[in-house]
Amino acid sequence: MILRRNSLRRLAGAAGIVAGLTSSAAAGDIVWARYGDIDSLDPHRATSTLSLQVWSLLYDTLLATDAEGLPVPHLAKSWTSNEEGTEYTFSLQDGVMCHDGTPLDANDVKYTIDAAFSEETPSVTKGSWGPITSAEVIDPLTIKLTLEKPFVAMIPFLADSFSSIICDSNGDGFGTTTAIGSGPWKLVSWTKGDRIVLEKNPDYKNFGKLAENPGAPHEDGLIIAVVPEPQARLAALKTGEVHIAEPPFDDVPSIKESGELDIIVAENTGQNVFWEFAVHRPPFNDKRARLAVAHATDAAAAISLIYGDLSVQENCPVSRGVFGNDQDFCAQYRPGYDPEKSKALLAELGYSMDKPLETALLVWTGGNRQKLGEVFQAQLAEVGIKASIEIMDIGSLNARVRQENETTTGTTGSMDMMTWSWYDPDILYALWHTPGAYRGYTSPELDAMLDETRVLTDQDARKAKVQEVFKYLLENAIHVPLYTPGWEWVFAVRPEVDGFFVAPFVYPNFSDVKLGG
Amino acid sequence: MWRFLGTRLAMGALTIWITTILVTLLIHAVPGDPVQIMYAQSQGTTPEQIEEVRRSLGLDRPIPVQYAMFIERLLHGDLGNTIRGGQPVLDVIMQRLPNTLILACAAMFIAILIGVPIGFLAAYREGSVVDISLMVLAIAGISMPHFWLGLMLLFFFALELGWLPVSGSGPLNLILPALTLGLSNAAIFARLTRSSMIDVMSQDYVQTAFAKGLPKALVLRRHVLRAGLLPVVTMMGLQFAFMMGGTIVVENIFSWNGVGRMAVEAIFQRDYPIIQGFILTFSVVVVTVAIVIDALYAVLDPRIRRA
Repeated sequence: MILRRNSLRRLAGAAGIVAGLTSSAAAGDIVWARYGDIDSLDPHRATSTLSLQVWSLLYDTLLATDAEGLPVPHLAKSWTSNEEGTEYTFSLQDGVMCHDGTPLDANDVKYTIDAAFSEETPSVTKGSWGPITSAEVIDPLTIKLTLEKPFVAMIPFLADSFSSIICDSNGDGFGTTTAIGSGPWKLVSWTKGDRIVLEKNPDYKNFGKLAENPGAPHEDGLIIAVVPEPQARLAALKTGEVHIAEPPFDDVPSIKESGELDIIVAENTGQNVFWEFAVHRPPFNDKRARLAVAHATDAAAAISLIYGDLSVQENCPVSRGVFGNDQDFCAQYRPGYDPEKSKALLAELGYSMDKPLETALLVWTGGNRQKLGEVFQAQLAEVGIKASIEIMDIGSLNARVRQENETTTGTTGSMDMMTWSWYDPDILYALWHTPGAYRGYTSPELDAMLDETRVLTDQDARKAKVQEVFKYLLENAIHVPLYTPGWEWVFAVRPEVDGFFVAPFVYPNFSDVKLGG
Repeated sequence: MWRFLGTRLAMGALTIWITTILVTLLIHAVPGDPVQIMYAQSQGTTPEQIEEVRRSLGLDRPIPVQYAMFIERLLHGDLGNTIRGGQPVLDVIMQRLPNTLILACAAMFIAILIGVPIGFLAAYREGSVVDISLMVLAIAGISMPHFWLGLMLLFFFALELGWLPVSGSGPLNLILPALTLGLSNAAIFARLTRSSMIDVMSQDYVQTAFAKGLPKALVLRRHVLRAGLLPVVTMMGLQFAFMMGGTIVVENIFSWNGVGRMAVEAIFQRDYPIIQGFILTFSVVVVTVAIVIDALYAVLDPRIRRA
């Protein structure tokens, strides 16, 4: 559509109608638009990235994450543990206030943990807290957690918003109409499916969160609006109705070129996109078939074609920013792009260009992943693998992958481009320890290694064990890493917004934001 | 008349009752374990919790028992809690149902206001240039996909002119989605009104009226319009039902917080209690609209009252 913008603007001006007339945001409000809404304001009731991002604004955590993704002190100024790793004692910062003006102390931490382990309504991430048997208030600023057995992934968990500290003054309506925490922003209202309105917490003290600002946010308010249609988000960014939003992918190059908006790409997202296979039936019950796929995949070329420089190839089963990730280490074991090797393996299995290996290729819809799937499909065809792409939503994909793993007969394979994000390599335990999140590959050998990654308290020893797991997964082509990041990681920002950044694991931060003229 | 309405009410109640059965069976219609599917992406969920959810949804009981439990809860106005977030389903739906009804009513108003006069004019000038151009316009309107029309309106009125907001909730935000939905439905009404009017105009009693020398305007108003609008009224009911559930595209483009978008999100997230609640609420609204339309029909056409 070609329009003479200026003449139309003049027409609008002449009619006495000014752009932005209808904007409901006040002058000091930052407006951030996202494609969807949170599930709950209660950190124990949901798991989506959209929810986590909002909790990180409302609540604080005992620990925080530094720029490299490692846990650092926050509400807890220090912590100690016994030698066995079954008791942790945290000393809390003094003078932290909840949004309702009550002090935040060890009782609030106990309240949060008791709620996570409640008999009636336990947290949906109860398993990730670890085998905590008690939370004991030693004094108002000291809390002791006792674990049934060691669980080292608890420390990084306490830096993630899943473990947000809820003030014990939260009563009825918690999660839907109230959300009392001690974070930089206070809840004003939440209209489900439409918007969340926040105001700054003037008493905020930042101890360890990544932000230059040591206190309350600079701007008065933050509106988190739901705008599902990418083109509408872009239009709202252009009119100034919205300050920050995920742009439509295909428009990123032209946005960059015009310089109208800034493009910010999140780093250390922990997002991992990888190949996995239905391993309980032919052909992928044979390691050689899985390796053939891995060797036929040129991830770097495919990503560059579809995402340009917005994403990079990943060599490890957990992505950059997650404990244990080491590109050089993983590159030694990751089956690299080598079509000739792939063809040789296929020939060993009795396949050829005339008699191709047939498989379904399941892909999660959105984010241009279907286009990426087509590039991979073409790469696989080059060596004689005939992949039929099936595109589906994430819920169906999860269900289907499990169903494929539970199907033990037939000769047509199934492989999928799976996507997971987690702050710790403990995700590999969930995926590949018996019985396995998708009932996929498991072995006693791998189980033993994964068990150890949960109990080794010495960081170096744990890192070595985690990397042993990487080596096993890569050499056996069980979890073939493709790229990172993979979803919701690109932000378009209006030029008057200053100080916006995205902390590791895709947590946008607004404490430093100033809206200029 | 009362007997007619009574029959319609009974049929409506039967429809809703059948819907409650289908809604109970729905959760079993999907392959795989529904609770496992719901929690497939929640890393920290323990097997005990999955069992607990299954128990709370009654999925560990025989299907007839599940149905009885569902009806009992329903009679207490309880549609259960959402899987994601754990909020009462009824609250979640009721928060958005008014938005969808407002949008559907506004769009219907626009559709009728534009469609019926155009159709009438085309019929009145049947075969003329006016008729042909109006009908070409109507076909273009029907063929135009909502997402395209919506985006064009958005680009023009919100982005280029800056007259209307791109997204959000307020009276001004209603204009663009209502226009998008209304314009394409106006085209449907225009075509239907035209063909129906032409049909009525060829009837003997209309020809007789003309032959008696009555003024054209009087014949049209008294004899043609009333009979010619009957199919349009039927269409109103059907289109209203369509607008209730089929507005997802429009709701997405304009960030309109309605039940269509909620339902699609719930389907993607396998949030069965919302899907069940939506289908049930939807059936109640559609049945209610159908009864109102039938009553309207009876008022317009005395033959139906006697039947």
